[in-house]
Amino acid sequence: MSLPMRKVTLTVNGKRHDPLDVPEGMMMIDVLHEMLGLTGSRLGCGIGICHACVVIWDKDDKTSEEVQTCITGVEFFDGKRIRTIEGIAETNDRGEVTLSPVQQAFLDKFSFQCGYCTPGFVNAATVLLERLKRSPVAKAEVEATVAAALEAHICRCTGYVRYYQAVRDVILATPGLTRDSA
Amino acid sequence: MSARRLLRWTAIAVVVVAAALAAFVSARLLSGKTGGPVQVVKASPDAVARGKYLAEAADCAACHTAPGGASYAGGLGMASGFGTIYATNITPDPDNGIGRWTSDDFWQALHDGVRRDGRQLYPAMPYTSYRGMTRADSDAIYAYLMQLRPMKVANRITELEFPYNIRLGMLGWNLLFLTDDLPATSTGSSAAWQRGRYLVDVLGHCGECHTPRGPLGEMELSRSLKGFALGRVAAPDITPAGLAARGWAPASLGTYLSRGIAGPNSAFADMHRVVVLSTRNLTADDIAAMTTYLLGDKPPAPAAETVGEGNQAGRTSYVALCAGCHGLDGKGIPNTIVGLRNNSTLRLADPRNLIVATLDGIGPQNFPHRMSLPGMPGFADKLTDEQAAALVNYLRAAWGGQKPDVRPSNVQALR
Repeated sequence: MSLPMRKVTLTVNGKRHDPLDVPEGMMMIDVLHEMLGLTGSRLGCGIGICHACVVIWDKDDKTSEEVQTCITGVEFFDGKRIRTIEGIAETNDRGEVTLSPVQQAFLDKFSFQCGYCTPGFVNAATVLLERLKRSPVAKAEVEATVAAALEAHICRCTGYVRYYQAVRDVILATPGLTRDSA
Repeated sequence: MSARRLLRWTAIAVVVVAAALAAFVSARLLSGKTGGPVQVVKASPDAVARGKYLAEAADCAACHTAPGGASYAGGLGMASGFGTIYATNITPDPDNGIGRWTSDDFWQALHDGVRRDGRQLYPAMPYTSYRGMTRADSDAIYAYLMQLRPMKVANRITELEFPYNIRLGMLGWNLLFLTDDLPATSTGSSAAWQRGRYLVDVLGHCGECHTPRGPLGEMELSRSLKGFALGRVAAPDITPAGLAARGWAPASLGTYLSRGIAGPNSAFADMHRVVVLSTRNLTADDIAAMTTYLLGDKPPAPAAETVGEGNQAGRTSYVALCAGCHGLDGKGIPNTIVGLRNNSTLRLADPRNLIVATLDGIGPQNFPHRMSLPGMPGFADKLTDEQAAALVNYLRAAWGGQKPDVRPSNVQALR
């Protein structure tokens, strides 16, 4: 059996893959794992519910949103730019890695135990922080904003509390993400 | 004159006629009761159990229970073209519920659409269907409700625009539209068919959603059960011809009513509530009776499954966004994801429900027999009107046997 092939152009973590020959209908997570060697995105439920597999889709209007790669075919990402968990931390010329504030906060607050859902939570929190940078919320609304942004993500070990607290603390500690009043 | 103004003037005319009528019947109106003793109903456990079964068959809870609220304590709002009508508390609380109502009062509400205080109900309360109920069944439901725990939950005030807020206007409406007999929608005469007619048209009040409504909100009985969209999601055609055209047969329809999932079809939106609160509780005999009436004593042959060729742009979106769960072949995942191949919603000529499901998704749902379906995400933010129209057209042509005639403007109208 041979699968029909498609040519797509992907930009992943700033690196352009043009063209990439992919089997039609291959789910994006399989492309990331098997063809691009990016294994950080986690396959959980496989039906778009748990959100462990999300990547960040950077749109041309400078906004971004999460997309579940377990249920989204590679065709959807043709011509689009995405970031995966591997593209969140910064690596300098000497190969030294600096974690993003969200990643550091998750470590500092012991937010996760097994870590399977963590890439998804990192990406969700990253999208949220970038959104707040464009349109800050009142300090009083931070708690609810975090809950709404992370709600779709499922964690089976630690009960969410430390994830939510970590994201809340990063938001409150970062200038420009909040307003004093409504 | 715009249609809306014409409608309003027609309604005002109806109110004026009704006011004249009221002069003749004012004696009766003045007999409306407010105080009175709290009723104590003595009924055998068997009678109460029968009342419970009938209340479920009549799906009283669907409206008289608010989301997250106490059972039968009212509160669900029903939006209509005339304003929002709130279902009332029908627990036996003396002040908020029906604690002072007699079985005669209860019968009057079900049969005539008149409250205990003599004022008119709006036909959001389906007395238009319940009118066919036997007195014995009304009394049994009354006996069941009267032994529920009284709930002190105040009724919400119905919010209707002038002139619809004049309840007296309903006298004229009833004169025009309230009928003793709803027309049969199938052919039959068997005992099962007779019982099914009672379950479908009277207790189940299926026509209240599935029958098209006219300009004054009346059921257009010449088109009974031919389908109607009161809100965002349409209640489909459930006449024998309409059901058979989408592949329904007695067995699959019975499975759907008792379990909510049958083949590639699952109940969603309001119909999911109907299955969970009402039809799942019915006996096998009553389910069979309903399907006998809906399809007739001699059911038409269900339309054969069709597989067609869809447009390429739509297929590309399908492969990118849908196939991960529903499968490249549209067969879904057993017990987890519904199939799309010959799914009843794809086989509807009206594309509305398919468009709405594509844009909004469908939330996670539990079904009888410990079944559940995970939520489907909405794709409103991932598809342009053009892409969504192409996708819906692909599905209709490939697995629905329908014309790919959906235009981007149809999608835009439902965003």
